[in-house]
Amino acid sequence: MGLATTRGVDREVRESIREFLYLESLALDERRFRDWLEAFAEDARYEIPVRVTREKFSEWELSPTSRIFDDTKETLEVRVKRLETDFAWSEQPPSRTRHFITNIVVRPTDEADEFLALSNCLVYRSRGEETTPSLFSAQRRDLLRRADEGDGCGWLIVHRWAALDQAVVNAHNMSIFI
Amino acid sequence: MAAIGTSEGVQRMLADMREGVLQGRVPARIFNDQEIFDLERDKLFSTAWCFLAHESEIPKNGDYVVRYIANNSIIVVRDEHGNLTASLNMCRHRGNMMCKSEMGNASHFRCSYHGWVYKNSGELIGVPYFKEGYEGKLDRKQWGLVKVRIDTYAGLIFGTLDPDAPSLDEYLGGFQFYLDIYLKQGAGGSEVHGPPDHWVAETDWKICAENFSGDGYHTPVAHQFGFHLGYFPSSGATHSEGWAVHIPDKGHSIGLGHTPGMPPFFGYPDQLVEQMRASLSPEQMEVFSKTRTAVGSVFPNLSFLIQPFSLVPGEPGVRFCTMRLWHPIGPGRMEMWSWCLVPKDASDEYKEEAYKAYTLAFGQAGTFEQDDFENWTRVTRAAGSTAVRGVEFPYVMGLDRPRLDDFPGPGYAVSPYVTDTNFRNLWSTWLDYLTREV
Repeated sequence: MGLATTRGVDREVRESIREFLYLESLALDERRFRDWLEAFAEDARYEIPVRVTREKFSEWELSPTSRIFDDTKETLEVRVKRLETDFAWSEQPPSRTRHFITNIVVRPTDEADEFLALSNCLVYRSRGEETTPSLFSAQRRDLLRRADEGDGCGWLIVHRWAALDQAVVNAHNMSIFI
Repeated sequence: MAAIGTSEGVQRMLADMREGVLQGRVPARIFNDQEIFDLERDKLFSTAWCFLAHESEIPKNGDYVVRYIANNSIIVVRDEHGNLTASLNMCRHRGNMMCKSEMGNASHFRCSYHGWVYKNSGELIGVPYFKEGYEGKLDRKQWGLVKVRIDTYAGLIFGTLDPDAPSLDEYLGGFQFYLDIYLKQGAGGSEVHGPPDHWVAETDWKICAENFSGDGYHTPVAHQFGFHLGYFPSSGATHSEGWAVHIPDKGHSIGLGHTPGMPPFFGYPDQLVEQMRASLSPEQMEVFSKTRTAVGSVFPNLSFLIQPFSLVPGEPGVRFCTMRLWHPIGPGRMEMWSWCLVPKDASDEYKEEAYKAYTLAFGQAGTFEQDDFENWTRVTRAAGSTAVRGVEFPYVMGLDRPRLDDFPGPGYAVSPYVTDTNFRNLWSTWLDYLTREV
């Protein structure tokens, strides 16, 4: 397909999706997790596959069966409820995160009100007095659905798929969201 | 005798620890120290049986995975005849790494340096310029990949670097009885759901191994959110109930948490329980049917957990099983491999549900796992600080607790579940390895 163009996606849609992705990551970085949950459709899936170092031309490098996250909106809400207790030790004191979202490419889908947004995501996480941060570099592929009128976000995440670039992840846990 | 190069301070600490463990004291320093790490590498991991892979990770001929014992990279292969074999991941010619991937399928391995070619079982069969260069001086039979001794139990492939080590059967020493709760889920046994989660942590492997040797004590606090949200199938009031069992002088142990009134095998499909009734012994069924949580470790660094868990608080839930390897890569630093084991004969729906429960609770983003590693990393940091060098931790829980003489399984069993009994055996076994002549 060469360098597939994004013809068929008008400027308004591209701009609005870019804005949405920025606002969504702002909610995460400001630890407004309830606001963040609102960005997900009721039937949403949140998925981070396990990456495996494989030979070139292998059938897959991202496991078709293993996941670091394999969540629905319901289980994401359980994670958020957990963060709202006093006993989520992995986030006590909380991580400082900064999500850097770049290289956004928006593609049309077969559904008129759904678009695929590809982006690069670099998450910087600092914890406590540790001077070495965790860095998570990922490719994101988000299926977005236009939200109903009156829904403030403008878009809903139907499927977030994020593939980390490291096969051996250099963080003692993933208590944050990508 | 400690190894040459071990300081007098560490030698004295280990000598004192011999008596100390029996009295319920363990030095904090062992949990983050360069000399201890070196001793473990040279005396423990060079002689013990260490976990390499599960057979279901390499189901087809030619399948391989690359794993480690201490700092040794090892290729574990199912060869062209279906036999399991393991070799050092190093070309015999000049030492280049053979397999650079974590897993794959190959009938032969070809070195990317000078091109020596080996069968996947390790025999050297191809040497460039064999006639012109070597002129008959090279006997290919002598220069295969360096073999690693392996043996299996119920799907687990273990390796040892010690040609004189006792058999795996003797090494496990009766712990097989308990391992079956994880490895023989249903008639077809257990299989991995997929490749493991794999990450690094600034944590000493022993803290994790101890925790998974039956630390039911930490659960109501370290995982308090679970009780708080109401989906942990236990309560603070009854959480201490159950049994702790270890194999004396072998270091293997298991904690069996029991919830009064919980139906037997809660969270398993009935059909699976029927199959287990046929394939497991009545004694095993008696123990396993009363078990809510089974958290156990094969010495030194392979652990398992079975636990019923629901995705949403308050729902019935399913039983998931995780297998994990705490692999030391430096003092206070480790690589973590975490698998989900599913019953091979269960429905795809059950496997998926169990896997989802695993990822929500364990694995790198699991809510329980997250809190464990947060705590363990801080323990490791404290253990490495200078003022802690002379500090000991108390291991006196259950010190005078009598051994149960009517427990159906082998080993040394006590009740309740919350006790340090298993850990004292763990650390005295560890000490046996570190202080023996090699």
